[in-house]
This record gives sequence, C-alpha cells and structure tokens, in this order.
Amino acid sequence: MTAFVEHDNPGPFATDGEIAAINLESARCGAWARFAQDPRLPGVAEEIVANERLASQFLGDLDVLDRLDTLALQFERADGSSRALLVQAEVASTAHRFDDARVYLARAVRMGAPREAIERQVLTIDQACGVELDAVLAARHGFATASGRLEDLVPLGAVLADLERFAEADAVYRQAFSSYDDVSPFPLAWVCFQLGLLWGELVPIPDPSLAAFWYRRAIAYLPGYVKARVHLAEICASEGRTGDAEALLLPALSSRDPEVRWRLADVLVAQGRLEEAERQLDAARSGFDQLLEGHLLAFADHAAEFYAGSGNDCRRALELARTNVANRPTRRALKQAHAIAVIADEPGAASDPHEALSAGASV
Amino acid sequence: MSDHVDGPRSIGDPSADITDLFAFTSPDNPTRTVLAVDVFPSAGEDAIFSNIIKYSIAVRRVTVVGVGNSAKFQPADDEFRFSFRFDVLKRDAAGKAIQLGLCTLPGGRELSLTVGDEKGASTPEGDVRVFAGLRSDPFYLAWDVAELTKLPNLLQHTNVLCIVVEFDTRRVLDTTKGSLFGAIAETVPPQQRSLIAPPIARIDWIGRPEQTNIRLNNPALSAIQDLRDLWNQQTPFAVSKELQSLFLQRLKDSLANWDMHDGKADWTPEALAANANVFLDDFLLFDVAKPINDESHLEIEKSTINGLPYQTGGGRTVDANSIDILLTWLVNRDREFLQGGATGATKPGMKSFPYFATPNTELQTVAESVELAATPDDVWSLIGQFGGAWHPLTARVNLTGAGIGQLRTIQTVDGQKIVERLEAIDDAKRFLRYTNIAGMAASQYSGTLEVKPKGSGCVVDWRAQFLTSDKTDRAVKVIVTTLFKAGLESLKPRFGVAK
Repeated sequence: MTAFVEHDNPGPFATDGEIAAINLESARCGAWARFAQDPRLPGVAEEIVANERLASQFLGDLDVLDRLDTLALQFERADGSSRALLVQAEVASTAHRFDDARVYLARAVRMGAPREAIERQVLTIDQACGVELDAVLAARHGFATASGRLEDLVPLGAVLADLERFAEADAVYRQAFSSYDDVSPFPLAWVCFQLGLLWGELVPIPDPSLAAFWYRRAIAYLPGYVKARVHLAEICASEGRTGDAEALLLPALSSRDPEVRWRLADVLVAQGRLEEAERQLDAARSGFDQLLEGHLLAFADHAAEFYAGSGNDCRRALELARTNVANRPTRRALKQAHAIAVIADEPGAASDPHEALSAGASV
Repeated sequence: MSDHVDGPRSIGDPSADITDLFAFTSPDNPTRTVLAVDVFPSAGEDAIFSNIIKYSIAVRRVTVVGVGNSAKFQPADDEFRFSFRFDVLKRDAAGKAIQLGLCTLPGGRELSLTVGDEKGASTPEGDVRVFAGLRSDPFYLAWDVAELTKLPNLLQHTNVLCIVVEFDTRRVLDTTKGSLFGAIAETVPPQQRSLIAPPIARIDWIGRPEQTNIRLNNPALSAIQDLRDLWNQQTPFAVSKELQSLFLQRLKDSLANWDMHDGKADWTPEALAANANVFLDDFLLFDVAKPINDESHLEIEKSTINGLPYQTGGGRTVDANSIDILLTWLVNRDREFLQGGATGATKPGMKSFPYFATPNTELQTVAESVELAATPDDVWSLIGQFGGAWHPLTARVNLTGAGIGQLRTIQTVDGQKIVERLEAIDDAKRFLRYTNIAGMAASQYSGTLEVKPKGSGCVVDWRAQFLTSDKTDRAVKVIVTTLFKAGLESLKPRFGVAK
C-alpha cells in the first residue's frame, strides 16, 4: 500500500504550538478554579475533563488521571444529577476502566441523561474495546457525514484502521486534515499523529519515511507533543540516526512519561553510553511501576511493550498484555499478547491471534 | 454568558473566542472614546493571544431610519477599523516570555505594543492609545438563565484577555458627519487554502451582548437547532439576506419566550417583531455626543422602539449591568428591574487607562482524600476535634474560645505557628470548615475536612482554597499539599486502608 503526499503543502495554519499549550494550561487551571468555587457550575466539570484529556493526549501530563479521579469524586458529592454519572463515565473511560464506565452510563440512563451524550460515550467505549465494530463504523459514518468536522472524521478514520481498511482510513484522515477550518493546533497535530501511526505501525508493510513525515508535522504544530516525539525518535533510532532521536526525546523528559526515558535509554545503548542508559532505564521502570500501581488498565499495553523489550521481564509483560486483552480485546491487543507470548515461550502461543479473537479465547 | 463560548467552533481556540465588546466615553477625559473587546473566557493567569488571529474592532456611522414598530438603524458602508495582530512568544534578557503586538489604525497607521504593559502604547500624535493583556472579567451573570432564578456571579474571580483602544473622538471618528455609531468586534483567521470547503471568514464576532447565548440560542427553547456557528459566519453589518428570515424567526420565537418568563405578556406582537428586527442588526450602538453611563446601555434601541428620541449615548461601560438591563427589557419591557444575584463583577472598572481592572489572582485549590477501612464515626472521633493534635506534623495545639469562632494555634514540629478559626462544624455530617488567620502565605484561605461513608469503610476528604501573591502560589500549594498528604497518610496505619 502506498500513499500520495503533498510534501510542499504546509497544511492549514494554526496558532503557534507553544502559545496553544500555554493557553490549554491556562484554560485548564481556570476551569479548576471555577470548579473550586462551585462544582455544579454549568459545563465546568465537563470542560475540565476535556482540558485534562488534551493535556494527557498532547502534553504527556501523567497527573491527569489522578486529577480526574479527584474531579469525579468531588463532583459526585456535589451534584446528584446524571451529569455526575456522565462525568464519572468519561473519567473511567479515560483511564480505560471501561466496565466501570458502562456501569455509570447505565445508571445515567436510568436517571434520564440525554440520550445523545450516552450514545456518544458508548460508541467511544465500544470502539476502544473493539466490540460491535460494524455498528461503530456505521455510527461514525453517520456523525462524520452529518458534520464533516475533524472531530468526527478522525474517530471514523480510527475505526477504519481498526478494521484494517487502511486506504480508507488514510483518505478520511486526509479529509479531516484538509477540511479543518479552525485555528487550534491540537486537532491538526492529532490527525498528523494518527497518519504517522497508520503508516508507521498499522499497515502490513510500514512506510517509516511517510510515518516520519506525519510525525514531524504533528511536532511542527505542537512542539510539546510527547507521543509524536517518541514515535519519531523510534524511527530515527531504527535508521541509525541516534543523535536525531536523542534531540527529539530530551525536550520531552519534563513530561515524566516513562516511555520517553525508555526510548532514550535505547538510544543511549546504541550510542554506547551504557551508564546513562541504565539510569534512564531504571527511571523508566520505576515510572511504569508507579503508573501501573495507580492506573493499571490505562497503562497495561504500553508497560507490556516496555517489559517485553528493554524492561526485560517477559513474564510481567505477558501478564500485563493479558490484562489488557481481558479489558479490551482489540486486534492490536491480541496481536501484542500473542507476540509477547511467543517471546515468553508460552505454550500454545503460536496460534493465530485472529482465530483466538473470533473464538473468544484468551491468548 | 455575554458571548462566552458561544458556539462549538469557538471552543477550538479559546483565545479566538470573544466574550464582550464595550464602547464608552473615557471617564478620564470626556473628549476621548474607549472601545474594548474581551476574548478567552475564564482565562488563567498565563493566557496569551493567538499569533495567527486578527482581532478587530470596526465602527460604522449609523442613521436612525425608523422609529416605533418600524425602528431601524442603518449602518453606513464605510468603517473605522482597529486591527490587532500578535507575535509568537519571545524571551527577554531574563528568559521571561513576552508577546509583542501590532495595532493597525483606521487610515493605516501602525502602533506597536507589548502585551500586558499597563501603560499601553500611544501614537506620536497622542490621538490613539492601545492596551492588550489579561484583566479581571468585567462581565457578571448571576442568573440561572433558563429558569430565571438568581445565583451568585457565575464569573466571579475569572479573567479575560482584553484589548483596549482609546482615541480622540473628534479626530478619529470625524463627528461633523454624525455622532451615532455602531461597533462590532471579530476574530479573523488566516484565509487558508482548503481543498474541501471555502475558508471561514471569522471564528467569532459580537455586536450587542448576548446575541448568541440568550437571544438566538435561548436555553429555555427546547429541541432547537444551534444557530450560533451559522451566526458567527455572518458578515457583521451585512447578515446574509437568504438567512435573515431564519435568524429573524428565531429571534421572534426567543423574544416571545423571554416575554412570558414572568407569566405576563408585556410585548404586543408588533413591538416584539420590531425588537427582533432591531436585534437582527447586531452592532453595539453608541452616540458620542450624548452621555454614556452605567445605565445607558441599550437606551438608544429602547427609546427608538418606544417611539421616543433617545437621551443617552447608549454604548456599554465596563461596569454596565448589561445582563440585567437586557433581561428586564426582554422579560417585562422595563416595567420592573430584574436584579440578578450580583450587583457587580469581581472588580469594578478603573477610572483611568486601561479602564479594566487588574487580573484576579487565581484561586488555588488543594484537594486530597484517603479511603480507610474504618467507620466514618471512628475516624471523625479523632480528626473531627478542632483542637486535636492528630496530625504528625503538629507538635501542639492551643485552643482559644469555644464553638464557632474559636481559634486554634498550631505549633508545627519545625517551629512554625499557624492560627486557624473554626467557621462551621457538623458532627452529624462529620464536616468542619475553617479559615486561616495567620501562618500561611495566602489570603482568603478556607479549608474543609469531611468524612463520608464508602462501602464498609469511609473516605476522608480534605480541601483548601486560597489566594496567594503572584510569586508564591506554587510554593504555597506544595506546602498545603504536603501538609494534607502527611496528615491523611498518618490515618492509614491507625484505621487501615480500604480494600
């Protein structure tokens, strides 16, 4: 599969990424201050969830899940309406506690929460868990056709990618990118990242240079985009450009995302700087352990990848991968668990993960 | 809210989201007029302007071409436009981020400015002075608008990004040709190439307050299409002829609904239609030859619809109670003033440039909790004692007085002294509230401690809110967080951790 890219097209203009990041933090703090005055203020709890998710997704802020837990707890005490349940569901879903989220949504339904709000959340959960994907696709098509907006097109692209309809996913992502008519860099960086992921990791034969092109664009929109830096650094390192990889990772260290330290450790090993690498690896291990202690389901897949690789603990990796599969049996989760089972020399690991998926078996 | 978050699109970049527009005579110099636009609802203390948005205030001469039920204000084609652009951040010698801007004045003159500089920037001739930066939000809304029940100010302690233009009225507006004007403000993105759809002309615009959130998108009207983004794409002073009937019908429906909020019909259908027509032409009217004061907002429109010559300069001052003036007009046609739950914004405006009050220090919040494997009453019996010394960082506690109002003086293990006052306590609900009197580098410090049942155990929730001076908020937050965590952690071995 190949793709056409207009390398000379700068893409839509957007507010400078540094300004946008400062303003996100500003809006986030402003919303919390208003919540502190009165948790029931219209729309404020929901605004906090939205801002915190952006901070997590784009800035690698690892304290987001703890803050959201606090929000859910305080909001539940302050507001006895279905609003609190919807917020609790969003918070649970953000932490990949999908079963909890479904319970909150079921209670919200009984309390008469708006149907559209419920359906949107259920759709997100189904997509994240890889269940009812045909129905998810139909619904995503409906939303995207009705609005034509980036925020509806990107999830459509994602479900197409989940269904391994990569060419269609690519087309939808490009449509989202081209049709964007606002000025926030976050949505544009998001589409670029999704395209990088598509071409770097999801297609059967990855195209690292195309993936790098999109990751670079994501970083151009948002220099503080931690995940894009990590993924681009991986590509650079795999091509032997360890200096470039290091330059990408160093500014992201302040995010405290252990994946940054893990990838940096790999780069340092490749450069023969073994003592520094060991320190970074220890920090990464400690970081993952801390995250797993608080939010196991949210970080199980990334931690599994770490322990299967430089973390050097295949048993733990397999345990985490299985936890992830049990929580959300997506094709990617199953593939990951299968691959780790093979590394761990687990009996029966050679079976096709897709067969296991269709049979509903654990890997 | 006035125009705060007035459409799904404007949620994208808060610095492009217009909240309010003002037009008034300078309280400092009656020969000068002030125009101002606010953006970024509930901006935090570090908020800055987008580097790709053009922020504009445009003014057109207006003529009254109809009165009574034919009331109509006709804007001229020519306009006076003040446009602001801002740069990406630069660092000064100390490494501090600064943002520079450029204002293009009517006629093309340019004026450079630095964001946040209270002195602003002036033309060499002194006829125009501009400011841009963070200020206390002058807007206040103290209603549940859908139910029309009073609330405290929903925007208390919030800030906005503010752009102010002050100018010599006669020199800039040429008042020999007339003194009545209409103003709008808009945020304009770059006209970028799109393969899919035509570029959007603007992110947001505003004329009179509440065109979008109260009139077009009346929260009391159920199951209506959200017209706010469509409205924001209209050209100010020239709403699309094809869409005028759609917007007009929505305005009529909305105003009819507002009229009946108190159960009384104060508007005839003809007068209501005239009101809708006037609001459809959405610009902030002001007359520089007449007095503009805190009560004059909308007076030009109201008198003209009532078939009378207007007496004031209308406009909108920093302290104008715009929401209550509007609601009174819509609900009972000025029969009885509807006063919301607040009589002013967090801070009043200033009498001198830049007229908008300094930003509010951000209210800091610390919240920590712990879940314990003990009954709420058991835990409360320990920590619910206002004079108790259960906290591991406490060396000694002395109580002064009794009951509500009593003081506790805490001597910490490192020799610090903290004085706190008991404001409320409810042993049945296992809740207490206290304020700090001394010992914390913070003001308006209010703390709550609460124990609630959870499962077979309980959860202890400890919270504090406070204001700090500019430089110390993070440091104080760390101190309070450490204090709370240490205290709550100490409860775990005593009572056990909930499973």
